[in-house]
Amino acid sequence: MSSIKRAVSLYSYQDEYVRGKLSLEGCLQELAEIGVEGVEVITDQMFHNTPETDDASIKNWKRIVKETGIVPVCNDIFINTNLYHNRMLTKKENLDFLKKELVQAHNLGFPMVRLVSATPADIIEEALPLAEELNVIMALEVHAGMAFDNAMTKKFTDIMFKLNSPYLGLVVDTGIFCRRHPRVSTAFFLDQGLNPEIVKYIDDIFASGDDPLELSHNKLPEDLEKMVRSRIDREYIIFAGGYENKDFSVLDPYMPYVKHFHGKFWEMTEEGTEYSIPYKELIEYLKEKGYEGYIASEYEGGRFALPGTEIDAVTQVRLQQDMLRSYI
Amino acid sequence: MFDNYVLTDNSLENVKKDGEITGYKMRTRITYYRGIPLSMVHDIQVEVDGQEVPRESIRFSPDGEIYFTLEEMKTVTSYKWEYGQEGIVYVEQAGGLPAGEHTIKLTQVSRVAYIPVPFSGSQTKTLTVI
Repeated sequence: MSSIKRAVSLYSYQDEYVRGKLSLEGCLQELAEIGVEGVEVITDQMFHNTPETDDASIKNWKRIVKETGIVPVCNDIFINTNLYHNRMLTKKENLDFLKKELVQAHNLGFPMVRLVSATPADIIEEALPLAEELNVIMALEVHAGMAFDNAMTKKFTDIMFKLNSPYLGLVVDTGIFCRRHPRVSTAFFLDQGLNPEIVKYIDDIFASGDDPLELSHNKLPEDLEKMVRSRIDREYIIFAGGYENKDFSVLDPYMPYVKHFHGKFWEMTEEGTEYSIPYKELIEYLKEKGYEGYIASEYEGGRFALPGTEIDAVTQVRLQQDMLRSYI
Repeated sequence: MFDNYVLTDNSLENVKKDGEITGYKMRTRITYYRGIPLSMVHDIQVEVDGQEVPRESIRFSPDGEIYFTLEEMKTVTSYKWEYGQEGIVYVEQAGGLPAGEHTIKLTQVSRVAYIPVPFSGSQTKTLTVI
């Protein structure tokens, strides 16, 4: 047993939430029932009028947290840089929004905000004094498709290394460790007419130990271009770039700054493993590195539910939590 | 991928004001996973029985109380279309829609923070006017 802790991102339950099957309170009760320690919330998803949530909502949230005993771990925030249709926000406007988000996270009792990938890096240094004052860590999401070799991610990590503050770090999306393309996504696109030749082409790339990241960002190789027959085919290739197949050692230089993990998953198999991501090996790596933070389940398979089928994130999260518990 | 949230079942109805039918409305949920200010709702398109509705006739309300034209909405940053909250799409059309079934295609286009191009959700359904 290591000191790695388990959380759930309520992103996982978005369909249950939107259909009224689970309220915010119901989500936390579910976590309490299955013995999860921490919770991660997208405030823009389950709170209204953010980042200026009213006092009543904050009070209600604190009551739910207290009654369920679930620990608020991470608040996923966004800066709406393209708030206006005719211009991007200025640096000052972005900074003002980030500060409001930090204050709200603090008021809700979150010790950390997850900055979405592509958050402008030029506001970080100026926001840091407020983050320190409020005791809220700012951690950039390192998302598959935009991981460490991405220019925007690098801008942030350069500042992070330079400032070397305990209030700056990273949230790593485990989608960068896909050994296979998620088959629920493949099934979803095949249902819409995806060319099976393309499925094989992408699967072969993963099987060779590589990933389609470069491919989906650049002009397609001639043999693949010839296989493209429809919009669906092209979409599938672009989305395939959102699953990276990196060695765990890619984290080595960043581990001291990793504050949190998004335990991304699309499909728990009958064997009790995730179809694409080798969690057992990942957790072995993290134990070896002495990681003591959380891994938060982030179920993303719901978006690939076939027409006419129900999304059951509750069961999927339970299965993933069982798996995480057994490896930790 | 969240296209099945676009058009709420049984939500097409004619709207009466001072005894006159002034148009029709339907309900819709955002096809994204979080709420956004109305200025980030890039466009809303309605097609009825294969016929595109003029943009100027469309109004949107995030809560059924306040309504904006799509042009006005470009500057509305003080109200959000919250995740899970049904917005109302109202089409101004004297007399509304004739009774019976209509094929409605509703498209919503949003700008989101980290995707460079606006993304859209669309759904076509046969609905009966209430």
